[in-house]
Parts: sequence; structure tokens; C-alpha cells
Amino acid sequence: MRCRVTGFVAVAAVLLAVSTALAHHSVSGQFDVNKPMTLKGVISKIDWINPHVYVHLDVKEKDGSMTTWALSTLPTAMMRRAGLTKETLAGKPGEEVTIDAVPARDGSKNLGWINRITYADGHSFAPTGQ
Amino acid sequence: MTYRALIGSVIVAMSLAAASVAAQVSARVPQRGTPEQLKQLSSKPTPKLADGRTDFNGTWDHLGGIEFVRPQTKADGSICLIGCAPPSRAGGPPPAPFPPVQTDFPKYKPEFVAKVKDLTEHQVKYDTVLQCQPPGVPRIGPPSKIVQNAREVVFLYDDVNGSFFRIIPTDGRPRRKDVPASYLGDALGRIEGDTLVVETTNFNDETWLTDNGAFHTKELKVTERFRRRGDTIEYSALVQDSSVLAEPWSPKAQVMWITDVEIEEPARCEDRDLEHIVDGSHHDNPR
Repeated sequence: MRCRVTGFVAVAAVLLAVSTALAHHSVSGQFDVNKPMTLKGVISKIDWINPHVYVHLDVKEKDGSMTTWALSTLPTAMMRRAGLTKETLAGKPGEEVTIDAVPARDGSKNLGWINRITYADGHSFAPTGQ
Repeated sequence: MTYRALIGSVIVAMSLAAASVAAQVSARVPQRGTPEQLKQLSSKPTPKLADGRTDFNGTWDHLGGIEFVRPQTKADGSICLIGCAPPSRAGGPPPAPFPPVQTDFPKYKPEFVAKVKDLTEHQVKYDTVLQCQPPGVPRIGPPSKIVQNAREVVFLYDDVNGSFFRIIPTDGRPRRKDVPASYLGDALGRIEGDTLVVETTNFNDETWLTDNGAFHTKELKVTERFRRRGDTIEYSALVQDSSVLAEPWSPKAQVMWITDVEIEEPARCEDRDLEHIVDGSHHDNPR
């Protein structure tokens, strides 16, 4: 596992391109879509709740400590439209995943919105097509 | 191992991995009702009960306000849900607009237009749907399951805010006078040929008719019509609240189609977001 790394310019450009659409949604009211970040870690828990599912990601920091991020995503009904379940979203136990996300605007630590989860075998889940 | 054999092995491995992921996500996936499918389903005979009345029993799918969710799954099992790039093959459906464009909205009397504007600008604060409360009628949309007997029809809802039910007497009994006003109101129904007509009153005033500040009063009356055609139901609603609306309003009609994907107990609704919204910004809540 590696520590949190900042996003790339290309990711920022994509986010800016979609920010108009997201401006109507609470994503931009709650999360800073202009600060993309990339997290690497292990999914430790899925809160399969509405109106937004939460993915908890354990990220190992450089000093060896562990930080758990709470990352929000779409409602369960939308997941079901694609056949996604709590289990498929969680991936395999202990599997390292990469999550592209944006952080909370209110300064809440370790809170974010998921743009994409990329699993160890390369397949990904992109809730809003980014 | 030759280069060709190596490539072949990689392709086989990737295919197996993709098949594995696809198998994981294929179970119990609701299917989208395309116009062709709906036309075929509606052309089937309309079933009748033993007493000759139209049969409305069944589990019914509809897009429930999330028609902009058009999942795409790639060969490697990757999934995109909203705003996905169009498939590379020609002729694929275009991505649905997101957020959805709201084209149907009730017309309010002039003296209430400013209130609607204020509510929609502060939707995060005032829209109780965002606080996991029942969505009201007609905002809740068509039911997910209908159970019918000789005396009544029961609607079951698998909603993002929870499990809800409505009991609709159809045996001519009078409307109850001893129940408090509620989110989903008090319904009476009648069956007119192939159409179930449901008239609901006795609502509280805590819900909205639709997104964007569409408040109502306790004078609200909603008449819903369920016309069964084959294995589909055409759903429409007429909203009347003359104390605030300039005229009756009908939300966009929907088509329900019968499905063998049974409804499930919805995940619990637990808001964790509203306290983190820093600017009180609008939150579209399509249904």
C-alpha cells in the first residue's frame, strides 16, 4: 500500500469538464471537485445505505500509521441497476484498490466522493463516468 | 513459450477474469424497458381475475426517476453508471442528460411563486426527502409491487428512503374519518374496466409534489390512474390543490412493466451528507 498522492492535471481537466453538470447536484456543494486526489488502500467496510453508499478505505501513511477514509458514492438503487452489490463493490478481502476521489469542502478530514475505484485486476467502477 | 502463445494465454486469462466479473454482476439486474419491449409487452392479453375484474397483481418495474442511470459494462468488467461515454459501436443509445432536465412543474398562483423560488434555492434545508422522510404522493411514483384481492389493493414501494405501503380499498367502503393526516395520505380506489383509479386525500403538508420547492397544503388531492395494457401499466396522476396551485397539474406519465425481479428490503436511509454541504446549495432529487 502506498500513501495518498495528489491527482494529475488530466484528472483535473476532466473534473472541470463535468463540473457544470455536477453543479446542480450536492457533490459540488459538499465536495471540492477541483481538488482531485488518488488514494491507494484496502476497502475495510461498505456501508450499504441510502441515500449514498459509503466505502471505507484504509490507507497506510508514510509513517506507517493507518488512515481510514469515508468515501461517498451513489444510492443503492442505482448500483442495483448495474448489478453491483455490496460484495462486488468491496472487491476481494485484502485487495489493494486505487480510488480517485475529491475531498470534503467543509474541512472534514478523510471524507470524500468517489470518482472511480480501480481494482487490482484492472477493472473499475466509475459512478459518474469520470 | 512463443510470443503468440504468450499473447493467447494473456487473452484467455483476461477473458476468464472478465467473465468472472460479469457473472458476479449479472444476477437480479433490472432490465430497461425499451420502446420495442414495452410495445411487445403491452400487446399481450390483459389478464383478468376470476371475478372478471382486471388483474393488477405483480411486481412492476419502472425507471423511477433514474432514467439517467444507463450502466455500461466493458469487456474487462468495468462499470460506468452515469454520464458514460457512448459505446464505440455505431447506433448505440446516447448518454442520458444528467442531471435530468425537469420539464414538468406545477403552476403556482402568483403570490406563491416567490415561496417556491426560496424553497428550491434552499432545498437542502427544506426538502424533507433529503432527510430520509417519506416522499409523499405523487413524488413517490408508481409502486414496485401491487397485491390485489376482492376488497382492496395494496401498493408496496422499494424506495430510496425506505419501504412504504399504501392500502387502497376498492369495495366501496366510505373514506375513513378517524385517521390523522399523513405523508402518503388516505386512499380510496375503484376499478373502471382496465383502469384502477386511486383518489388520495388527507395528506400532511410536509412533502413536496416534485423536486424544486413544489410545496402543497393539506388540501391536496391526488388522483392516480393505472391502466393495464397486457403486461404493462400506464401510470398517470392528477394533482389538485386549489389553495396554492393556479391549475391542476399532472407529472410526466410513466409506463410500468411486469418483471420477475422481486423487490427487496431497501437499504436503510441514513443521511450523512447534509451537515457537510457548505453553501446550502441545491440538491436535485429526481424520482
